Amino acid sequence: MAPVTAKAGDETCMVFNTIKGAPQGRVVRFVVGEDKQPREMTQAETEAELGDPFATLLLNKGVFPSTAAELLDAVDARVGANHPLGPSSHMSFVLGEGSQIPLADATPSTNAGLRFLVSRGSGPKGPDLIISTPGPDIAFVEVMAWDKKRKGFNYYRSAGPKRWAFAGNSRHALTPPTKGKGPFESHPSGNLIMKELRLPWVHWHSFEVDIFEDAFPKGDSRRKHPWFTQKLGAEICETAVVMPSITRWTEARLNQVVAANGTVTDPARVVEQIVTTPTVNLASSSRESKGAGPLDLPPGFFVDFDGLSRIGLPGPPGFSVSRAIYAKSLKTFDFRLDDGDGFVQPGDTHFAFVVPERAFEDTETLAQAVDRGLITRRLAAALLMVDFPNPVFSARRASLLKHAPKTATIKSGKSTYSDDMANAIIAAAAATPANSPEKEFVDRWNKAATLPGPLGDELEAYYDAIAKKLKTQAGFDDFVRLAESQRKRVRDQTRLVESLLLFPTTDVDDDERRAMKRDATVVLVSA
Amino acid sequence: MPLKRFAVPGNLKELSKEGLKAWSARLSELFDAVAEPPGRHFYNPTKSDTPPDASVAAVTWPAAPGRLLSQRLAPERRWEIADGDRNQQDEYCEWSVLRDGNKVVRVTFTSETPDYYDHLMDVDQKLLVDLYESATGQDVSLDDLRSGSHGIFEAANAFNSRTDGPIVHLMQGSNNLRAAVILAAEATVLRKGKDGKSVSHPQTLVVCGGLGDERRHSDPRIAAAVNNLVAKRFEITLQDPPGLYLDRFVTTGMTTPDGTDARTFWTVERGDPGHVVRARFAAPVALGYAVGAIKLGGRRIVAGAQLAERLSVRIEAVARAASFQPKRQPCVAGSGL
Repeated sequence: MAPVTAKAGDETCMVFNTIKGAPQGRVVRFVVGEDKQPREMTQAETEAELGDPFATLLLNKGVFPSTAAELLDAVDARVGANHPLGPSSHMSFVLGEGSQIPLADATPSTNAGLRFLVSRGSGPKGPDLIISTPGPDIAFVEVMAWDKKRKGFNYYRSAGPKRWAFAGNSRHALTPPTKGKGPFESHPSGNLIMKELRLPWVHWHSFEVDIFEDAFPKGDSRRKHPWFTQKLGAEICETAVVMPSITRWTEARLNQVVAANGTVTDPARVVEQIVTTPTVNLASSSRESKGAGPLDLPPGFFVDFDGLSRIGLPGPPGFSVSRAIYAKSLKTFDFRLDDGDGFVQPGDTHFAFVVPERAFEDTETLAQAVDRGLITRRLAAALLMVDFPNPVFSARRASLLKHAPKTATIKSGKSTYSDDMANAIIAAAAATPANSPEKEFVDRWNKAATLPGPLGDELEAYYDAIAKKLKTQAGFDDFVRLAESQRKRVRDQTRLVESLLLFPTTDVDDDERRAMKRDATVVLVSA
Repeated sequence: MPLKRFAVPGNLKELSKEGLKAWSARLSELFDAVAEPPGRHFYNPTKSDTPPDASVAAVTWPAAPGRLLSQRLAPERRWEIADGDRNQQDEYCEWSVLRDGNKVVRVTFTSETPDYYDHLMDVDQKLLVDLYESATGQDVSLDDLRSGSHGIFEAANAFNSRTDGPIVHLMQGSNNLRAAVILAAEATVLRKGKDGKSVSHPQTLVVCGGLGDERRHSDPRIAAAVNNLVAKRFEITLQDPPGLYLDRFVTTGMTTPDGTDARTFWTVERGDPGHVVRARFAAPVALGYAVGAIKLGGRRIVAGAQLAERLSVRIEAVARAASFQPKRQPCVAGSGL
């Protein structure tokens, strides 16, 4: 029997495209970082390791579908109509970066990324089976399925007709040697990803904008498939699928790391999600870029409004820019959509001003850590307020991670962990330069003794400064430059960019790295 | 064969035969009037046949006000504004929050349009008063529901304006069936911009056609759904019974103190199962906790608007194939498009 192989040394999610020799009817285990090469699992191994419905209903019973439609047909055949995983729980969603571009203008690349997200399961904590595929009858399928036995989502990739690879469990995302490898490159905390999580869910079919059948080529069977004709909007995906799934895994994960005696395993991993940017969500204006009237701007571009408001600090008042200033900026920077294959259209993405913001999965981790008593509101406020005008990709805030204590204990909903971390930073600050992140933290920590207090005043002053800048062309142009710099970091530092049409192409010099200051000025920073 | 008669919203069976007939006549008159202007592709299904192969398009949008969401306020501030003023609740859905101190106990949602109650004022005043007394648990007189010397029905009367108690039907100025029918009919006019290109994207279409407020969720959604069907050469009407309905309510992700599935806390108060016009969300008293003890997305439920963001409103358009040559008209003057 020939061995199963994959490209040696490749630890990215692309390595699954190189799997060769996977047998039909046997699960291949390829948890990158743990498994040097894919290997066949025995029946005993699959039964021991895989406790999700995809495995228990199908794979462990020798049922190996080739396509997503076959997979769900097989599930339906086993569970019947009234089962929680049955057809009545079915929801399908559609997204595509080129989906608002008229077919007549499109190239083969424009809509190559159109894909379906399908979920099954009607429990209060969210769906148990989530499928991503370019089409119901296409033999390229990714599956996430909730493992009731070991908790977390099990990740699967099709590896050819009737061939499946097990790529890991959510928990593999969190620790070496599997952290950041294989599927956990783009799922850094083991969560389901919906990068365009908030209204207006740019690139998704939603109540805000339809994806019509002519996004698919003429004669394409997907046009008439029920998954397309009965698709639901992204607003349902956000509330019924993605957010509950993130909450579910975060809850399970924190349950797992807190032992019965209150000892917390690797508490710094929680701090990592507060001070660094493991991933981002993409936000945009709720207004069409080609429409009329002023454009609201996503608050998460300016400040971590969700995280700050959860700990008692004031959120922004709502920022907007006039259509005239926005339109001039589009011309100044030659905004265009370019699929890299010959399609070029002047202007911005369908919904204007797409930018990264702090990911919901990181905010949810912070909220649950505060609820459990691991992190105090004071520590959360002090950390988030270090370099607060840069809510994502802040090297200053990230540098504080090295002070996160390696041990923690929670007793009766309380922990000394926050004080321990604050004291570690305060002790280190003495030997650092005047403008160090540590010294900034000390200032924030002292001010955070009362919330909102003086930190709230600083935020209000910052919001006023932004509002003033947005009334001028030069001020908004600076924010456009900053936005482009942030998009570049998404391209460079995450695995979220699957199409050139995710973002607009501009003439802003994308070698320049920019950051925001507390007076709302945008400055160049060294890379 | 044309539809024999329009039913009342929610398929409610409480009205007399004469009252039902008069309701249908009232709607028929409205449908005729809005279908008439040239360039529209809207029809009255009681006068014109809807063939069996006509399709029904369910058009849905969130119940939480789009105008507030687009202001991008902090969530707590947004919810406070929406809960505190029924005039902010302009997505054909309004709600009222019963609290015990600061704790949310019950949230009642309605999508029932005032047009029906206005009709009752004309045809069955006893039923009108009975419905009000049943919904509010208070003694109500006819005079309480009228305004002005002519005794016109006042949707925003004292018994139906509260944000913290019983709610009977919609009262916000834009939330009425007449407005929805007019919007659907006007949206059947195909439009083009100054550059000659078709205008079809929801917000832009609303501005171009003067079809309402592009910041709302409902106006762009209804307009675009209808307009895109017309562009494919369909004529449009509304599914019987014409109305606005509470659709999907997402409870997934709600964490209750005792693990009870929060979907069991949703109770329909008016309308048949496919045409719900009033419903409430409340934990049974026997469980010993209130809605405010439920967590949602890491936060406790502190507002009705939090729930409204998870509730959809629906209107159903019917599309019948037609043989007309689509002709696009310029955007209305003053639209800037």
